[in-house]
Amino acid sequence: MSIFVQAKNRVSKFLMAFFKKRRSRIGIYGPPNAGKTTLANRIARDWTGEMIGPVSEIPHETRRATRKQDITITGNNGSTITIDIVDTPGVTTKIDYKEFLEYGVGKEEAITRAREATEGVAEAMHWLREDIDGVIYMLDSTEDPFLQVNIMMVGIIESRKLPVLIVANKIDLPDASPQRIRTAFPQHPVIPISCTEGSNIEELYEKMVLHFG
Amino acid sequence: MVHTCAKCGKVYPDSSAEILIGCSECGGKKFYFERPDIRLKRIPADRDTPVPASPPSEASEKYPLEDNVGSRVESIRIVAPGTYELNIEKMAQSDDRVVGLGREGSYAVDLLSMSGAKKKKKSER
Repeated sequence: MSIFVQAKNRVSKFLMAFFKKRRSRIGIYGPPNAGKTTLANRIARDWTGEMIGPVSEIPHETRRATRKQDITITGNNGSTITIDIVDTPGVTTKIDYKEFLEYGVGKEEAITRAREATEGVAEAMHWLREDIDGVIYMLDSTEDPFLQVNIMMVGIIESRKLPVLIVANKIDLPDASPQRIRTAFPQHPVIPISCTEGSNIEELYEKMVLHFG
Repeated sequence: MVHTCAKCGKVYPDSSAEILIGCSECGGKKFYFERPDIRLKRIPADRDTPVPASPPSEASEKYPLEDNVGSRVESIRIVAPGTYELNIEKMAQSDDRVVGLGREGSYAVDLLSMSGAKKKKKSER
C-alpha cells in the first residue's frame, strides 16, 4: 500500500512542478517599529483567520523573517491574487543594545537582542535578493521619511525592478503626515492606512491586487 | 546627526532639504554623513557655533573616506558588543560577509559565506 502512496506522491510532485503557478512572494519591508508585523497579522487574519507573529512597542521585535503562505486576496471587481506574505525584521543602519535598555530590557538580553536584530537585517536583505517578487515598504507617517535608510532601501528595491507599494501607517496618530511620504517618494503609489484601527485597509488590498497581480 | 557638504564644508542638520536638492552655498550634491560621537571628538568647540566653510582639500582630510558607509568594504561592523553598524548596500549585493571589528580598520572575513554557501542552498531547495 505504501508503495502506491509513494508512487502517487511522486507523480503529483512531478505534475505540480510543471503545472503549479508560482505564487508571488510579497515582502513587507521598512524601518523598525513601522508596523510591519501588525500589517502582516492583519492581512493574514483578514484572509486566512490566522496570525503571523507577536507585536510589541520595542524596536526589532521581529528578528527572523516569517512567511505566511497561500493568502488569497479578492479585489472589488472580483479579481484575485494568491500570495505568500513575508514579514521581515526592520532594516536599519545602526543597532545599539542601549536603545533596548530604555524599554526595561536587561543588559544581557539587550545585547542578545541586538545580535539577533543584526542577523535579522542580513536575513531580510538575503530574502530581498533571492526570493521576493514584490515589496510593501512600510513607513511610520509620524516619522521623517527622508532618512538615509529609506532612500537607500527604496533605491535598492527599484534597482531590482520589483513592484513596490509604499504604505504610510499610523495615520490615526495626531502627528501623522502621509503627505510628507508622498513628497519623499512621488514615483510610487503611497497608501495611507492605520493598521491598528483598520482604516483604509481596503484600499491597500485593492492596490495589492492591481499592483502584484 | 549632521551632513557636511563635501565641496565647501557647510554643515546641515539631519533631514535638511538641501541634502536632496544640493548645497545652498556651492550647489554640491555630495555630503558626508557624520555620527555625532565622532563629530564631538573632532570639533571640541561648542557644537552650536557655526562651522566655517573650508576648502575641499581640507574637508576630505577632516573626513576620511572610511566614514562614508557606502564605500566601506565590510557589510557589518561590530563597534562594541551589542553595537553594530550595518552596510545595507553591501548586504543587498551579496551574502558574502566581511565583518569590521571596532574602529581600527581590522576585519574578519567569513570565507564560508563566500565559497560553497550558494551551492549548498540550491541543493537544499
